[in-house]
Amino acid sequence: MKVKVLRQQSPVSEPYWEVFDADVPGDMSVAGLLDHLNYHDDIVDENGKPTTRIGWECSCLQGICGSCAMVINGIPALACETFVRDLKGSEITIQPLQKFPVIHDLLTDRSVIYKNLEKENIFIGEYKPGSEENGKKAQKEHVHQYEIAKCIKCGLCLEVCPNYVNGQNFFGAMFANDCYLVAARNTDKRREIKELYDEHFGSTCSKSLSCMDVCPMKIPTIASMAKLNRR
Amino acid sequence: MRDAIVIGSGISGMVTAVKLAEEGVSVLLVSPFPSERSQSVMAAGGINAVLTDCEPGDSVACHIEDTLKGGCYIAGRDSVTGLCESAEEIIRYLEGIGTVFSVDDDGRPARRAFGGQSYKRTCYCGASTGKQIVTALVMEARRLEASGKIRRGLGKCFHSALIKDGVCYGALFFDEHTGNISAEYADAVVVATGGQNALFGKTTGSTQCDGYTAGKLFTQGVELKNLEFIQFHPTTIETSQKRMLLSEAARGEGGRLFYLDKGKRVYFMEDKYGPGGNLLPRDIVSREIYGAGSEVFLDVSFLKESEIDKRIPEVRELCKKYIGLDIASEPIPVAPSVHFFMGGIAVHNDHETNIRNLFAVGECASMYHGANRLGGNSLLAAIHSGMIAAREIAGRDVVADKPDFSQAEREANESLAEMRNTKSVFPVMYIRDMAAETMNKSMGIIREEASIKEGITDIDYYLSIAEKLSYDNSVLPYFNYSLSGILTLARAVLTCADARKESRGAHFRSDFPDTFDEYAHPTIVSYDNGQYNTRLDKENEYES
Repeated sequence: MKVKVLRQQSPVSEPYWEVFDADVPGDMSVAGLLDHLNYHDDIVDENGKPTTRIGWECSCLQGICGSCAMVINGIPALACETFVRDLKGSEITIQPLQKFPVIHDLLTDRSVIYKNLEKENIFIGEYKPGSEENGKKAQKEHVHQYEIAKCIKCGLCLEVCPNYVNGQNFFGAMFANDCYLVAARNTDKRREIKELYDEHFGSTCSKSLSCMDVCPMKIPTIASMAKLNRR
Repeated sequence: MRDAIVIGSGISGMVTAVKLAEEGVSVLLVSPFPSERSQSVMAAGGINAVLTDCEPGDSVACHIEDTLKGGCYIAGRDSVTGLCESAEEIIRYLEGIGTVFSVDDDGRPARRAFGGQSYKRTCYCGASTGKQIVTALVMEARRLEASGKIRRGLGKCFHSALIKDGVCYGALFFDEHTGNISAEYADAVVVATGGQNALFGKTTGSTQCDGYTAGKLFTQGVELKNLEFIQFHPTTIETSQKRMLLSEAARGEGGRLFYLDKGKRVYFMEDKYGPGGNLLPRDIVSREIYGAGSEVFLDVSFLKESEIDKRIPEVRELCKKYIGLDIASEPIPVAPSVHFFMGGIAVHNDHETNIRNLFAVGECASMYHGANRLGGNSLLAAIHSGMIAAREIAGRDVVADKPDFSQAEREANESLAEMRNTKSVFPVMYIRDMAAETMNKSMGIIREEASIKEGITDIDYYLSIAEKLSYDNSVLPYFNYSLSGILTLARAVLTCADARKESRGAHFRSDFPDTFDEYAHPTIVSYDNGQYNTRLDKENEYES
């Protein structure tokens, strides 16, 4: 099988495609494939020409840290839970996330995610839950908050979003969900958070909901939106 | 003190930074990656605490006793008492900052049973306790970042500590953005860099935890402790990219271990230990699986599908995703794998090392777990140790005069430039892989002198060539300069294992299968110009 990787040596150099041959089992993930290309032997391109190892990052290798977010066959995904068996065609294309500056090969600078959350002071501060819900409804609400708190800040929801450009004004689904978590866990902040949500998400989101399709943690962004739009 | 550097931004590092900042200490929180990438997010199980509304009969004294017993009585009683006594306050703190705990019908943190404990006292957040705590702490750190009390140093990798005459004044960091090594000065430095997974290649934990910081500090005079005690988790599965952990909950919910003998299932744990055999402490189950001599399976398929989905949905999902196996209909092939390091940097009860103003917290420090750790005690220790270190640092006087380390900074950059000027196709990662192979062979579940000695010979050889290796341009400079520190730590681990000529907790020697009273003390290892010296801490010099 051919593996086509969009390479870039440094933040300021030009990107270029490089093609590799790989013969790996279908149950290998793209993370495993990259490791295989880098280290099973000296790395060479499809013509046998020696080249440099492919830069990418990982930590947990099981879909819960968000390090290895990239674009695989055109779809934003985590490399460690995208399997060769599920990829169609005889060629796999791998690119870095396109909406973040490239540092090296498949490594991107996603610091804008944190800068925006810090800029708008998105933090709980003190746990002050609402008292209006009880019973089954409260349980459902608890599950929703638990799901949001699993957000790994991988950036896939921003990569796929038709409204997200570079994080200057529109901050994307990840921001909307964190807003909801803060508003739900500290009810004193509801009004303030609602304004920030409207400014950086609610007023611009065209509701394609592609963010939910690619979210590795399956966070129900639409539920966060419904609740914040209501408040 | 006025300022501090915290190295590592997982749970322990974040707690230290937050508590320091709240006490008015200015903090530089350094890590190569954001907190969401730390190993802390992988902690699934829970956090132990005897709360006021505990099970009848349970008490803090009982938690202390379980912890000391689990650690085979070589952890210090004073420090373990402090840990267990602070547990309720820690749960209150985590609730107060908005952690989404699993709750009972009254809204109180729910508790589950965990191995090696007398009562149900493990608080948890579904199947992602560590991640939920990280999310809450990231928000707390953000609150203090916004007001300028915490400064994040992302993209910075530890290089070495700035130590003079037994006092630490800061550290050198390699900056991935500038490509240079530069000095940061502070009144105190706190190391929170996690366990030494990379010594064993790909373990159940994060690939980012490599042990370099502990290894480098060791060569700079910092003493290490109990490195021979390495916890193997009994039930992990082999995937194409790493070994993955199947939660203890799978056995807690009734999962049974067996192997096949002429096509017939042998439930070896139950045969040997009775009905509770499958849930014995991790070291015993791991050794029995290892000793089974053929492939071992974990079976939960006799449970109703709805029960599996209700109680262990994450185990079903993991197996389906990574090995294409449905646990509701098939048994799971499992084997033990390296999971946690009870040993690490030796610290006193206030978490200061033998170097003044240099502290260590979380998994990289060795303190509470003795020869074996109870599930649910690592998150507790991560948070408690951060709080203790922060309190101590905040209460100390400002360091008035700091020596100038500009020469050390210059030399580190020159040495990096020298490394960069050479080129080779032989990458540093190959040596790391070979060292990991050695460690897995010599430091497995069952050890003996000959293989430990072979391991020492191998690692000594890798160390002798590490500095002569040509520079690998295609990986981060950090990987090139960190190799010697990682190998030095590996060598220290083997030295500790060689010195403990008995079996205790997670350290099992086939040539010394018994436990001896004379060894009922922690191992301390120090480094002196290429010499590795071990002693037993019989005088409890670190329990103070």
